[in-house]
Amino acid sequence: MTDPDDNRPLVSLTLSFRPLANQIGPLRSLLSDLCKPHLVDADVLSRLLLAAHELLENIVKYSVGEAAEFHLLVEAKPNGLLVRVRTKNRAAPERMADARWRLDALARAGDPIAHYDELIRESAGRRDISGLGLARIPAESEMELRYATDQDWLIVTAEGSTSKQVNE
Amino acid sequence: MSELSLTAVGGSAFQVTPTLVDFSLRLVFTGSGDMNATVVVNEYLKLVHEEAIRLGLAQVSCDFKQLTFMNSSCFKSFVVWIDTVKNSEVRYQIAFLTNPNLPWQRRSLEALRRLAANLVTIETIA
Repeated sequence: MTDPDDNRPLVSLTLSFRPLANQIGPLRSLLSDLCKPHLVDADVLSRLLLAAHELLENIVKYSVGEAAEFHLLVEAKPNGLLVRVRTKNRAAPERMADARWRLDALARAGDPIAHYDELIRESAGRRDISGLGLARIPAESEMELRYATDQDWLIVTAEGSTSKQVNE
Repeated sequence: MSELSLTAVGGSAFQVTPTLVDFSLRLVFTGSGDMNATVVVNEYLKLVHEEAIRLGLAQVSCDFKQLTFMNSSCFKSFVVWIDTVKNSEVRYQIAFLTNPNLPWQRRSLEALRRLAANLVTIETIA
């Protein structure tokens, strides 16, 4: 049974690693196994895994250098759960500019689903990169996305809360 | 009616298997549509469209019952495919068959339905 007064997170995972494509599937399975006991609703778990997957793929595709970081936090709050996924990676200047542009546009958008739909329509005629991964997170995971930069490091955080109670 | 020229693609981690029944093509997706599947999905959906036009199909069904996940790059391939059909002189219906135990499917596919509500339908299969 979980005591909401206990300040320890239900799940706290920090990885520092060189991200590779073939690591994402096993990592996703690990995250699912870690979180499943605490998330009653399969939909909540599904949304968390979607956000984690898209952020992990981004650091695989766009990291510069050997090191990247991944953090997962699931914490019990008096009214439910706080769920947070954070990635940190070094990015080339053009990638940093593109990510900032996309994340700023997301922050300005009042309705994340309408913004996502607009990006989908715009991307339909393009055969190049997807460009939908970041916008998909708030639209489908219902998690808030924010970012920070530190020199050439990009830190992206997806955070959400749910009123669903943890398993007992 | 001509025979189907499409064959199954992919491997143990991700696979698409086509079946032709009357004037409907059913594509069964299994596994995880992640980074390793992106090129396969992109190229395959182009062939599906060519085949649908060649055979004069009324509908293409995408069976996602055993598709555990689809990343945004694979999703984008479906966006391009649907847009291609939408702008084609000869159109066919696209049906997505979803697994109720995989909640991401309904949310993701609703975005595709909003892109072309007159072409795309979503059904839940047990």
